[in-house]
Amino acid sequence: MSTDSKRSFGIFKKNSELQTVVTISVFFIGAVLLYQIVNSLLNTGTIQYPSFIYPSNILNILQQNAAVGIMALGMTVIMLTGTIDLSIGMMTSLVAIFIAKAVMDWAVSPAMAVIYAVLICVGLELIMGSIISWLNVESFIITLGGMISCRGIALLISNSQEVAMRQNLAWFKANVFDWFNPEGVKMFGLKLNLPYYVIIFFILTAITWAMLKYTKFGRRIYAIGNNPQAAFLSGVNVKFTRLMAFLFNGVCVGIGATMQLVRVNTGIITVGQNMEIDVIAAVVIGGVVMSGGKGSVVGAFIGALLMGTITNAMTIMRIQQEWQFLVKGIIIIAAVAGGALSEILRRRNALLLRRKDADQTQISAKA
Amino acid sequence: MNEAIFRLINISKTFPGVRALSNIDFDLMPGEIHCICGENGAGKSTLIKILSGAYQPDPGGTIEFEGEKRVLTPRLAIELGIQTIYQEHNIFPHLSVTENIFAGLEIMKGLRVDFDAMRKKAGETLEYLHCSFGPDAIAGELSSGERKLVEIAKALVFQRKVIILDEPTASFSVSEIDMLLEVVRKVVSTGIAVVYISHHLDEVFRLEGRVTVLRDGEHVLTEHSANLTEGELVRNMVGRDVSAFYSRDFYERGEVALEARNLSGNGVRDISFKAYRGQCLGFAGMVGSGRSELMTLLMGGAKKDSGQVLVEGQEVEFRLPSAAIRRKMCYITEDRQYTGLFLKHSIARNSIIANLVNMKDFLIKPKQDYAVGEKYIQELGTKAENADVIVGNLSGGNQQKVVLAKWFNTHGDIYIFDEPTRGIDVGAKAEIYHIMMDLMRQGKCLIMASSDMPEIVSMSDRVIVMKNGGIAGELERDEISEESILSYSIGGVAV
Repeated sequence: MSTDSKRSFGIFKKNSELQTVVTISVFFIGAVLLYQIVNSLLNTGTIQYPSFIYPSNILNILQQNAAVGIMALGMTVIMLTGTIDLSIGMMTSLVAIFIAKAVMDWAVSPAMAVIYAVLICVGLELIMGSIISWLNVESFIITLGGMISCRGIALLISNSQEVAMRQNLAWFKANVFDWFNPEGVKMFGLKLNLPYYVIIFFILTAITWAMLKYTKFGRRIYAIGNNPQAAFLSGVNVKFTRLMAFLFNGVCVGIGATMQLVRVNTGIITVGQNMEIDVIAAVVIGGVVMSGGKGSVVGAFIGALLMGTITNAMTIMRIQQEWQFLVKGIIIIAAVAGGALSEILRRRNALLLRRKDADQTQISAKA
Repeated sequence: MNEAIFRLINISKTFPGVRALSNIDFDLMPGEIHCICGENGAGKSTLIKILSGAYQPDPGGTIEFEGEKRVLTPRLAIELGIQTIYQEHNIFPHLSVTENIFAGLEIMKGLRVDFDAMRKKAGETLEYLHCSFGPDAIAGELSSGERKLVEIAKALVFQRKVIILDEPTASFSVSEIDMLLEVVRKVVSTGIAVVYISHHLDEVFRLEGRVTVLRDGEHVLTEHSANLTEGELVRNMVGRDVSAFYSRDFYERGEVALEARNLSGNGVRDISFKAYRGQCLGFAGMVGSGRSELMTLLMGGAKKDSGQVLVEGQEVEFRLPSAAIRRKMCYITEDRQYTGLFLKHSIARNSIIANLVNMKDFLIKPKQDYAVGEKYIQELGTKAENADVIVGNLSGGNQQKVVLAKWFNTHGDIYIFDEPTRGIDVGAKAEIYHIMMDLMRQGKCLIMASSDMPEIVSMSDRVIVMKNGGIAGELERDEISEESILSYSIGGVAV
C-alpha cells in the first residue's frame, strides 16, 4: 500500500525541477489573480471573476502551447537517450514554408502537403540521426549544422519572402465545441475555442507516455541514456534505438510545425525561430537531465504548459516583451538550480533525521 | 617513542541510512606502513576520505596532524603534505609524465614555466624509484602500474609527509604488484608515512607494517603483521571462519555447450576451446593477455576476423550481443559500473533489460519489472529494501547480484563471467561462488576469466592460460595450480 501511494505522486517527489517551477507558478498565478481582483475593485468597486481563469483563456493557453508541447514530446525522447536536437526550430520554419509554398504555388492539396511535411521532417532526422548514431559523433554539433542548413533551404525555397495562406488548413483548427453546438458554446460571454490540434496534442502525449512506460522501446531508451555501453552488452541495439528516437522526433516536429503554421497562417522564416529554446526549456523544467536516462513525458508536458501559463499571465498583466524574456530565463535557471538545492537540503534533512535516530538507539542501548 | 604524525580520535561518520564509521581511533607514525583491511562496506573508503579531507567527520571527533588539531579540507590536506592516490587514475593521458607530476604546481621562472627544471626533477625522482620510463613518456601510454608510480613520484617531488594508497593494485599484473610494493618500501625508508588499503592480504603481509582491521564501521584491532596469521586476519575481517570459501563440489561433465575453432579478432588470435555443461572453464593470464577481449568477442560485442564459434554444436554468427542472448548466452562483465549496470535506475529496471530481446509481448507493465526485481532480490539475497531502490546506492557485492539478476532473468545456459568478484568483499565473494556452483549443478556451462589466482585455481574444472592474445597452455583439473598457471603466463614453458 505504501509504495502505491508513493507512486501516485512520484512525478513530483522525484522531480525537484518540476517542484520548483510548480511553486513559482502557484505564486505567479496567485499574483495575477490578486492583481486582477484589486484592479477590478479599484476600477469598478466590485469584485469580478478574474479573466485569467476564464475557461476561454485556459483553452487559449492550450492553443498557444500545443506546438511547443508536441515538440517537447519528441525532444524528451531524444534527450532521454543522452542526445539533443537543436534543429527543430528551423526545421519548423522550413516545413511551414514548404506547406505554404506547396499549397499556394504548387497546387498540392493541403492534406498531402502536411503528409509530405511530416515525411520531410522524418527524412531530415533520418540523415542527422544516422550520422549521430553510426558515426557516434556529438548530436549538438550535427544538429547545429542541421539547424543552419534548414534555415538555408527554407530561405531558398521561399526566396527569402513570406508566403501567406488563405485559411487552407482551417480544418486543422476547427473548433471541437462546434460539434456540440454549431452556434458556439459560450461561457462568461466568451466563445470557447478548442481546436482539433489541441486534442491531437493530448493524444500524442498519451501515446508517448505509454510508449516510454509500457514498451520495450521505452525501456531501451532509458537504458541507452543511462549507460550506452552496458545497454549494448545487455542486448540493446544502441545505434538503431537512437535512430528510432530521432525518427520519432521527426514525426513530432512535422505535426508541431503544421500546428504552428495553422496558428500563424503564413509561411515565414520566423515561424519556428527560437522554438528549440522553448522546447528544450520545457523539457529541462520537466526534469529530464541533459545527460539522459532520467525524466518523463509527464514532466515535459507540465513543463511546457507551465511556461505557457506564465507567459500568458505576464501578457495579461501587460508586462513588456523584453521583461518577459528576462523572467522566463530566470525561471529556467531557478528551476534547475532550485531543483539541485532542494535535493541537497533533502539529503541533509534525511541525514539529520538518521543521526537523531542513531543517537536515540545509542541512548536506548545504553539505558 | 616517536610522536604520531597523524592521529584520529573518536571519529564517526553518519550517512543517510548508515553509520559508516563509529568511534574510530587511528594513528600513523612517520616512516611506517599502515595497512587498513576490511570487507567492502567496513568503512575503509570513508576513513580515507576523512583522512584526505573530502569528508567532514561527525561532531565529537578530533583530527590531529603533527600534534595540532585540524579541520581538514582537501586543500588543507595537500598543503599539510597528505597525498591521496585514489583507485581511479587521476592522470592526464595526453600529457607527459613531467607535466602530470607538476600539473597545477609548475615551477615558474618569472612568467615562464621552467620546463627544464621540472623535467630534471621528475627524471631524478623516477630514477630514484627505478622506473622503467622517463619524464617525457606520455602518461596515457603507461600501464596502470606505471601510472600509479607517476602519482607516487608526485608525492616525492613535493615532499609530502603522508601518502594514502587506496586499492593501488586493483588492476595490476603480478610483476606490477612486486614493483609497487618495492617502491612503497623505498618511499617509507625516506620517512614518509604510507596508509595502504588493499583487498589482497598477501600484499599486507609482504609490506610488514601495522595493520588496522575495520568491520562494519568499527575498529576491530591494530597489530603488527608479524604478530598475525592470514587466517586470524580474515577471521577478524569477517567475524567468522572462512576455511570453506575456496572448496567446491564437482559435477558430472555434460555436453559441449560452447566451442571456438581458430577464433581471431578483437586483439586475440587463433583461439580454440571446448566448454562443457556442468563445468567451469577458467581463463587465466596477465592483465592485457586478451581475456576480456576474447569474452567480448564470444558475446558478439566485437567483430571477429576469422574462425568459428559453435553453440550447442551449431555454428553461429553474432553481429550484436542481442544475437548471443537469444542463443542463451550471458556476459557478466568485468566492470559493473561502466559496462554492467544502469546506476541511475532501479533494481527492477536493471533486472529486466537483458531479457527484452526474448520477450514477445508488445506491452510490458512496470509491475512486471518490479516482480522480476523482487524475485531475484529474494533468490540471490540482495540486501535492498525493495526493487525500486536505485542501483547506484548499493554496495559492490549487491550491485554484482543485480548484474546476476539481469542475466538469470534471460534463463541462459552459457554464463561468461569476467572477474566475477572484483572489488567485492570476502563474504559476498563466497555467496557469488555459491551461486556459480549452483549454476554448474543445474548443468549450465560456465566460462570465467579472472586474474584472482585463488579464484581461478579453486573454481575452475579446466584452465586455459592466455598470453599476448593467444593460448599459452591448457591445464586439466589435476594440473591446476598457481605455479603451473604462472609458468605458462610468464614463460610459456611447462613446469
